[in-house]
Amino acid sequence: MLSTLQRRLWAEQKKSKHRRIWLIPFAFFLFEALWMIWQFTSAHTEELTTGYLMLFYDLPIINTIIMPIMVAVIASRLCDMEIKGETLKLLYTLQEPESFFDCKYLAGAKYLFFFTAGHSILILASGRIFHFGYSLKISMLIEYLAVTLCTSLVLLALQQMMSLISNSQIMPLTVGLAGSFLGLFSLFFPAPLARLVIWGYFAAFPCVKMDWDRATRITEFYEVPFPLVGFLIFAVFGILLFIICRIIVTRKEI
Amino acid sequence: MSSVILTDSLTKQYGKKTVVDSLDLKVPARSIYGFLGPNGAGKSTTLKLLLGLIKPTEGNIRILGQKVTQKNRLNILAQTGSLIESPAYYGHLSGKENLRIICTLKNVPLRCIDQVLAIVRMTEQQNKKVSQYSLGMKQRLGLATALLGMPKLLLLDEPTNGLDPAGIQEMRELICSLPQKCNMTVVVSSHLLSEIDQMATHVGIIDQGQLIFQDTLSSLHEYSRSRIILRTNNDSAAMKVLKQSHIPAGWSENTLTLKVHQENRIADAVTLLVHAGIGIHRIYEQQMSLEDIFLHLTGKKVSL
Repeated sequence: MLSTLQRRLWAEQKKSKHRRIWLIPFAFFLFEALWMIWQFTSAHTEELTTGYLMLFYDLPIINTIIMPIMVAVIASRLCDMEIKGETLKLLYTLQEPESFFDCKYLAGAKYLFFFTAGHSILILASGRIFHFGYSLKISMLIEYLAVTLCTSLVLLALQQMMSLISNSQIMPLTVGLAGSFLGLFSLFFPAPLARLVIWGYFAAFPCVKMDWDRATRITEFYEVPFPLVGFLIFAVFGILLFIICRIIVTRKEI
Repeated sequence: MSSVILTDSLTKQYGKKTVVDSLDLKVPARSIYGFLGPNGAGKSTTLKLLLGLIKPTEGNIRILGQKVTQKNRLNILAQTGSLIESPAYYGHLSGKENLRIICTLKNVPLRCIDQVLAIVRMTEQQNKKVSQYSLGMKQRLGLATALLGMPKLLLLDEPTNGLDPAGIQEMRELICSLPQKCNMTVVVSSHLLSEIDQMATHVGIIDQGQLIFQDTLSSLHEYSRSRIILRTNNDSAAMKVLKQSHIPAGWSENTLTLKVHQENRIADAVTLLVHAGIGIHRIYEQQMSLEDIFLHLTGKKVSL
């Protein structure tokens, strides 16, 4: 016998049938895999020695560009079926609006979780295939995955809220696209200003930094301590944002 | 007869605008309650208030004997089916897949799907994508969704909207059969008097958020007392003769009306007029239309 939550999650799963939502993270995953192949096949042997460090420096920046768009598209695909089919007035008689929001969120989070898990496989596989010099620091991998997953989950709450309160998906998708650009530009903003741009948080907690010598034109990657406190503050902020988004959606009268 | 729905001073305001104003609904068990009113009268808002989709500004709701609160709302609604404004559906899924989702959420056995599909005569179209359904089919799927689990109470908001005449007739027959067949109470809203007249056993009429009539359909029909219309070759002379003989009559909008219903009094009036040399072209009984009743109740003409 399934519990109420299990039934609701199961129903959420069934709603996505035929929608092929998994294709979205898969396409973005493929893009990153191709980028890695291109990056490391064209790299010199000495560059490959710092392969992992290079990845942990570059991937957050790439994530800043692609993840806001991917999250916006996933949220939009999951939510527009409810808007188009005007299902909320029926669903809210069968489950609490809060439960609906949570189940929808978990349905989206599932794709982000798999995408992040795919990342770890991609990073490990790159090391093996291209024979990176230094061994992988597991703590570094976990820090990178935590930042990627956490930031994308925060964005998912925001995107889901926008997708559920808008009659058209153009606005939330535009915000996702604009967030991608804004996130990238925020990397060049002064730190206090950059903190205001949540789309830029994929690269806001670096565990690797880069030093480029203009004279020798040599790039050197080096490890820095993970800003754990800052990350935890961001995670708390993410929880607050989720709660606010949930309140906005559930307070909206049908 | 016990009441399935009871509301007490149910009120909904948006800003300063009162959309539903101190509504005291009383829906008897196993009735078909026609909730009638012109567009924008507050019918859909009332149904949404009953379902807890919007929160009342004031007032209480009792459904199936229980006071509806935020805590017990879903438990009460588990015994309720609804179709509000337009059918809710997932266009990319088949009719059956849609019903499966609702079955899962309602915690109703999947075998109920075949039963409700048979009731709404959708068995053959069940595997077709809902996006390819006609509006009538979507409406029937909406009704099938509401029927899942055979609830005790069914709330249908304008269920015949957008249906062709055959579809309307079919939907009407289906709704009329539900109280007996499935032991249900049905609340059906409409802006069409004729529709309610053909389906309902009880009627509530709402106008500008206020309930202006609530009783059985037969009580409503008592308002429709007939009038005897006379067509003569000289209405003013006929009026004079009738007045002199103290037979109550009226003349308005070029129509001479006898305000008597006893057959012998009507015969007397006719004899008097003939003897006075007034030619009678026609004499007929005219029932008050439901539009007229509405006019009588609200004091204003409304397009229904």
